[in-house]
Amino acid sequence: MVAARHRAPATALVRLGETRLAHADAGALAGVRREAWRRFLETGIPTTRVEDWKYARIDALLARPFAAPGPAEPAAGTLAAAFAGGPRARRLILANGRVLAGPSHVGGLPPGMRVLSLAEAIARFPERVAEVLAEVPDPGPFTDLNTALAEDGAWIELEEGVRPEVPLQLLFVAVGEPSAVMAHPRVVVRLGAGARLHLIESHLAEGAGHVLTNLVLQVRLDEGAELVHEKLQAAEGGHALLARTSVRLATGARLRDRVATVGGDFVRNELDVRLEGEGGEALMAGLYLPRDREQVDTLVRVHHHAPRCHSDQFYKGVVEDRARAAFAGRITVHPGAQDTDAYQQNRNLLLSDEAEVDAKPELEIFADEVRCSHGATVGGLDEAALFYLRTRGIGRAAAEALLTYAFAGEVVTRFDDPELAAQLRRAILARVPGGGMLDPEGLVA
Amino acid sequence: MSDAVETVRELTERDYEWGFVTPVEEETVPPGLDEDVIRLISRKKEEPAWLTEWRLEAFRRWRRMEEPRWARVHYPPIDYQAISYFAAPKQKERPKSLDDIDPEIRRTYEKLGIPIREQEILAGVAVDYVFDSVSVATTFKKKLEELGIIFCSISEAVRDHPELVRRYLGSVVPPGDNFYAALNSAVFSDGSFVYVPPGVRCPMELSTYFRINAAGTGQFERTLIIADRGSYVSYLEGCTAPMRDENQLHAAVVELIALDEAEIKYSTVQNWYPGDREGRGGIYNFVTKRGLCKGVRSKISWTQVETGSAITWKYPSCVLQGDESVGEFYSVALTNNFQQADTGTKMIHIGRHTRSRIVSKGIAAGRSQNTYRGLVRILRGAEGARNHTQCDSLLIGDRCGAHTVPYIEVKNPSARVEHEATTSKLSEAQLFYCRARGIPLEDAVALVVNGFCREVMDELPMEFAVEARKLLGISLEGSVG
Repeated sequence: MVAARHRAPATALVRLGETRLAHADAGALAGVRREAWRRFLETGIPTTRVEDWKYARIDALLARPFAAPGPAEPAAGTLAAAFAGGPRARRLILANGRVLAGPSHVGGLPPGMRVLSLAEAIARFPERVAEVLAEVPDPGPFTDLNTALAEDGAWIELEEGVRPEVPLQLLFVAVGEPSAVMAHPRVVVRLGAGARLHLIESHLAEGAGHVLTNLVLQVRLDEGAELVHEKLQAAEGGHALLARTSVRLATGARLRDRVATVGGDFVRNELDVRLEGEGGEALMAGLYLPRDREQVDTLVRVHHHAPRCHSDQFYKGVVEDRARAAFAGRITVHPGAQDTDAYQQNRNLLLSDEAEVDAKPELEIFADEVRCSHGATVGGLDEAALFYLRTRGIGRAAAEALLTYAFAGEVVTRFDDPELAAQLRRAILARVPGGGMLDPEGLVA
Repeated sequence: MSDAVETVRELTERDYEWGFVTPVEEETVPPGLDEDVIRLISRKKEEPAWLTEWRLEAFRRWRRMEEPRWARVHYPPIDYQAISYFAAPKQKERPKSLDDIDPEIRRTYEKLGIPIREQEILAGVAVDYVFDSVSVATTFKKKLEELGIIFCSISEAVRDHPELVRRYLGSVVPPGDNFYAALNSAVFSDGSFVYVPPGVRCPMELSTYFRINAAGTGQFERTLIIADRGSYVSYLEGCTAPMRDENQLHAAVVELIALDEAEIKYSTVQNWYPGDREGRGGIYNFVTKRGLCKGVRSKISWTQVETGSAITWKYPSCVLQGDESVGEFYSVALTNNFQQADTGTKMIHIGRHTRSRIVSKGIAAGRSQNTYRGLVRILRGAEGARNHTQCDSLLIGDRCGAHTVPYIEVKNPSARVEHEATTSKLSEAQLFYCRARGIPLEDAVALVVNGFCREVMDELPMEFAVEARKLLGISLEGSVG
């Protein structure tokens, strides 16, 4: 039996999980994994009748006959194209969920900063890993699945006041295999009081196939800590990504979260932010450009638990061909979270007769000393703006490309890392109809 | 919290003025619901066989359906077998003239401030009075008949205009639409019926006044309004109920049909008994209202002022089927004490160049929960569709909740959909400004709240606007706190 409006997971998936659990860890970690697995089986796979999955069609995705991933070795050239964070950036590279020690570079870190593969963390301090894996709030079936089956990933810890100068990049590569595979990488980020980290997360693919990456990134920011998290998802070629990011912020902590999705058959980004201490700040922005039959599903949950916090969501979408994009954002102001400032914007450009955009911007407010607002728009390109450009001698196709690019640009400018921003610009131009007519160099201000 | 808040709380604790019970002899069927009860209701109303069968079919569907759980309202399980599905003031037959109405019933409407007599004499509004489950009086029938307008109770319409009823009943809200609509289809007792012939502009507001009186009953009325080509009608609906410790169920269905270039304006001032300050008693208002803009350039406009009911579950909607048709929804929902409201609208754009506008103002005070839930859906073929939604919430006190749950689904690139929403607190600065000018706090709160709701209030017909403004003030008494 599974929960109402859920479906039992496919036999292949269950068998794979049982096998993996049978000869996994011992001790507390084994207990945490079994508990998460039990919850996953009890809950099942959500159908579109589950409110949070209303616009996500994942049935076919999860019904595939998954096999255990084999060793994957992406080509050096594939990886280099996605390098970001400058020449001195540290980098952890994972292929189909497993850390590749060779091309990764996490040496020479400042004192008080620790970056390990999750496998190594499990080998060195399994009890602590067990404790941390169990602390994700409102896990949901896929986080439970990840907790049960995660073998590798990253363990990132910064002690009080540690502020490395260079970014850390996590590079996830989906390497196509003959059969469908599922990977469950887990990333743990813990920043001590006043620490600061610039984390770049890149997703790309090598070869077509069906790699389903079920990633969970869990973050804890102590007092006054600051995380800049920039994510570029460009895994084209039949692959899918379920990415859950869960962030808890203590007093005065700050989060800047940016995400751009420019590839992936099915991409689901869940962001769960909890402002638990006074004066916390969470600034979130996202851009999605699905085309062909791609689907991007964004779910943002911001919880204001403490007074005087500020949150801002700014998400934009450009949807072409037969693609679908959904945005569901919710601001919850809990009782006692007075003096809350919370904003949410979702703007969508619908460029095809066969595409679809769904938006569900929600407010849930239980305190009265608040300033909350949200806005959502869906529409095509502005005819007046197009006309203006055409009167200046720009052809219709180029004018459309320019306006679409400018629409997306508002999110691009919020990215800090210049290399990542440049990769994103190229990806946008490759996706925008007529983007080839525009000169990327000429457009960079 | 400040003094101002304390004062508003005092102000909002005024009592429900319409909570009296009328001592008329009522005829009720015993509680419980099965096919026999439905046959009994149908027989009492001397209905044709097709309608009895229609009810039974709805009942069979209802039995297989689940009560909806997705709304943000909480209440103990309802025992549908403990409700009496038919209550009517005892009378041998429908009064032939207004003089024949039971004086007690007449007094009830006088106490409610809408004397049946006076309405007739003062001209202006034609009213259908629904007392518990049945229509007791309809005024101005003759004058309307001259224009070919049919305005009567739905039971009369079934008897006198079966072809219209049979054609349109359930055409907008099918019997299996949802749990409460199915229940209503099975047991509806009465309600109003309006048909406006082609090209006729109805010269007066048509109105129904609903009154629940008997204890242990539910009210399940059904309203059907058809505006034929190029016609116009404005319809008002008001409701009250006595104060009781028990919760009473009100599950109505309203269907509107606008043919080519017709316009229907439907206004509601809903003031069912909201329960007492501790949240005891009150009406459960589970209502399905939907309008079909069937013809080209037709228009349906919903305006609602919701101040009553312990629970409101209501989404007056427009299906914009005709090209260039227009749907509008203007709403004020005010909750106080332990009231819960989950209300909003659906705008379904099917035709080309269809337009819709939503203005929703939610006011939450006390420990109430106030939710706007809305859907704007643009289908593939709705070329050039437009929607603008504005949804504002005002919080009075820190123990209430205000929520906004809009759904936007767009499948046509030439459509333009905009949604904006804000939530804020009743401004201390504005209250202070008013008070500094010698305006008493009670009036200041009413002033600010009325200002907040103005866009919606302006849409109400004049007869209703005055009542609605007063209601807002009264419902808020005791809320600043």
